[in-house]
Amino acid sequence: MSLEHFKNRNVGTQNYRMLDLDPTPVTGWGQFKQVVRRSLSLELLVGLKVTLREMLKALLFGKMHTTKYPFEKLPIGPRYRAIHEMKRLLESGHYRCIGCGLCEKICPADAIRMDTHYGENQRKEVSEYTINFGRCIFCGYCAEVCPELAIVHGGRYETASEQRASFSLFEDMLTPIDQLKSQREFPGYGSVSVNADTNIKKTPLAY
Amino acid sequence: MIPFAFYLFAILITGLFLVTVMSKNVLYAMTSLAAGMVLISGLFFILGADFLGVVQLIVYVGAVMAVYAFAMMFFDVTRDVEERHDKPWLVFLLGGGIAVTLVVIFAAPIMGETVHALYPPVAGATNPQAVGLVLFTKYLLPFEVASVMLLVAMIAGIILAGKKMEISLSAMDEDMIADTKEHA
Amino acid sequence: MMEVTYLGIIIKAILILAIISAIAGFGTYIERKVLAFMQRRLGPMHVGPYGLLQIAADGIKLFTKEDFIPQNANKLMFMVAPVITAATAFIALSAVPVFPDFTIFGIFVPSIAADVNIGILFVLGMMAAGLYGPLLAGMSQANKWGIIGAARTAAQFISYEVVTGLSLLAPIMMVGSLSLIDFNHYNETHPWMVFMQPVAFVLFLIAGFAETNRTPFDLLENEAEIIAGYATEYSGMRWGMFFIGEYANMITVSVLASIIFLGGYTDLWFIPGWLAIILKIAFMFFLMLWVRASWPHVRPDQFMWLAWKVLMPLAVINVVITGIVIMV
Repeated sequence: MSLEHFKNRNVGTQNYRMLDLDPTPVTGWGQFKQVVRRSLSLELLVGLKVTLREMLKALLFGKMHTTKYPFEKLPIGPRYRAIHEMKRLLESGHYRCIGCGLCEKICPADAIRMDTHYGENQRKEVSEYTINFGRCIFCGYCAEVCPELAIVHGGRYETASEQRASFSLFEDMLTPIDQLKSQREFPGYGSVSVNADTNIKKTPLAY
Repeated sequence: MIPFAFYLFAILITGLFLVTVMSKNVLYAMTSLAAGMVLISGLFFILGADFLGVVQLIVYVGAVMAVYAFAMMFFDVTRDVEERHDKPWLVFLLGGGIAVTLVVIFAAPIMGETVHALYPPVAGATNPQAVGLVLFTKYLLPFEVASVMLLVAMIAGIILAGKKMEISLSAMDEDMIADTKEHA
Repeated sequence: MMEVTYLGIIIKAILILAIISAIAGFGTYIERKVLAFMQRRLGPMHVGPYGLLQIAADGIKLFTKEDFIPQNANKLMFMVAPVITAATAFIALSAVPVFPDFTIFGIFVPSIAADVNIGILFVLGMMAAGLYGPLLAGMSQANKWGIIGAARTAAQFISYEVVTGLSLLAPIMMVGSLSLIDFNHYNETHPWMVFMQPVAFVLFLIAGFAETNRTPFDLLENEAEIIAGYATEYSGMRWGMFFIGEYANMITVSVLASIIFLGGYTDLWFIPGWLAIILKIAFMFFLMLWVRASWPHVRPDQFMWLAWKVLMPLAVINVVITGIVIMV
């Protein structure tokens, strides 16, 4: 079933089929007739036929539905909102976060806490950044509000760990420096659109 | 082998029925009564009356005791039963009298010399067939009378239980229930 | 005909106990697999090849679980009840012939452990006595779900014993014996009983499902309505004994249906008798799982309605018609 077909909610235009149900019998004789008709036409066996058909399908034609989860995983959508990732600048490798505090401000669950200080070159640096995943509701506001695309949502949805702190420290969420080449942009809210290069005719400084 | 089995069963049955009478707990009383019924069927098997043994099993254990158990659902089985004993000597006298009478009745044929079976078992017939032969020849009339009596009891039970069956109290509101009470 | 010795009977009894309890354990694996396949799942896969050692894992779990007894429960009855279920299930099997006679190490092993000449009645009676397991379990555990389960046990077993007995009466009249071995011999010379008594076969199946507490009729422990009914407070091996009893009863009903209605252990075309009966029992067992995968539960009042207003009159009519046909 295609997506358009699935999203079509105009009742009556789809391929609905009316069941030819008889009205419920009220008299005793009508009920008796219904019981006899249903028993003799072996309606019960239809259910047995369906389950046997599914079993043969599964066994002979390999049409199993099971995904053996820890060993094989279903693909998730690119805009899936799981554990956050902190991105780095591609050129310098420095983290993108400028310590503006917008994510801390907008977080409806009050899960983000950050602290900043002036670094050696009088540049604002993040000295502490934690997300309390006991509170986080994965709403995606932080990624949406971030002006630098620094905090985004990743695809790590297996959030069981021995300690909650295991994935809430800034360093843990930051892209490892040796994997900078393979860093991907998050296509969710607030991200640069795919055809951004063609949309922008001039650099903003030209205005 | 057979005397040993008989005494084993006899002791067990007596013990279990004593528990039935003595126990203050409904659940113990019921269970020991049912277990005693099972063991009585063992006595029938020892005597070679397989059919009666199984009938004992099905009727008493499977049906009668199950109906008792159904009635037990209305009691709190975790609580002990307090029995009132107004005149213990009367109970003892009546119970003992009945017991002695029963022993005399069943012991008399053993003592007597002239007692013999009127309908000796037919040679070659298995146990159910022998029961059938006696039941449908000599005891045909009592058998049929008993069956008619059971039929009457069954119809009476259905009528008693089925009275006002079309009235559902749970489907009525309280005023309607009060109305039906006034009319009744 | 060789002489039946005590040793032969003991061997048979040990065989029944060992094989049936092993099959009862294995039945849980089969049930989970079949139900999984019917829903296009895989079922147990991880313990051993194809999950075959799942039984061992389950057994270890059941044995090492805490044996929990509720505070207000009647402790003795609570502990005895599961044993009653398991014991009556195996005692019922003692009067059921499973394989043809055979000889091992020169010892004659009869097809039946106790060849009482009222075999069918004995099996039915013992299965009727099996109602005390769930009943006492439900009443002793001081739990309202247990009480409801026990009440349903009493109602369901009493009602469906009537249907089982009456439905088997017609085949008994045709064979003229209550011994299951005579039933088997009858099938050697006549067409299978299922073709001569189709109504009795269907009635026996329905009542058999009800007496073994299988799915369309498993109202005693219907988890959608009464948590687990009589087994609510049970854990560990005591719960496991209810399970073994249920599976042993399923096997008993399968064997009864195979012998009475499906030709028993007579040779079938080129298939030898022992293989034929195994196939028949396996099919009956599979049918129970198949039905469980296909059909929903029945409501308790509909269930009683079915027993007394539909099945019992049908069984009585069937007996009367059979009697008329035999007389004419």
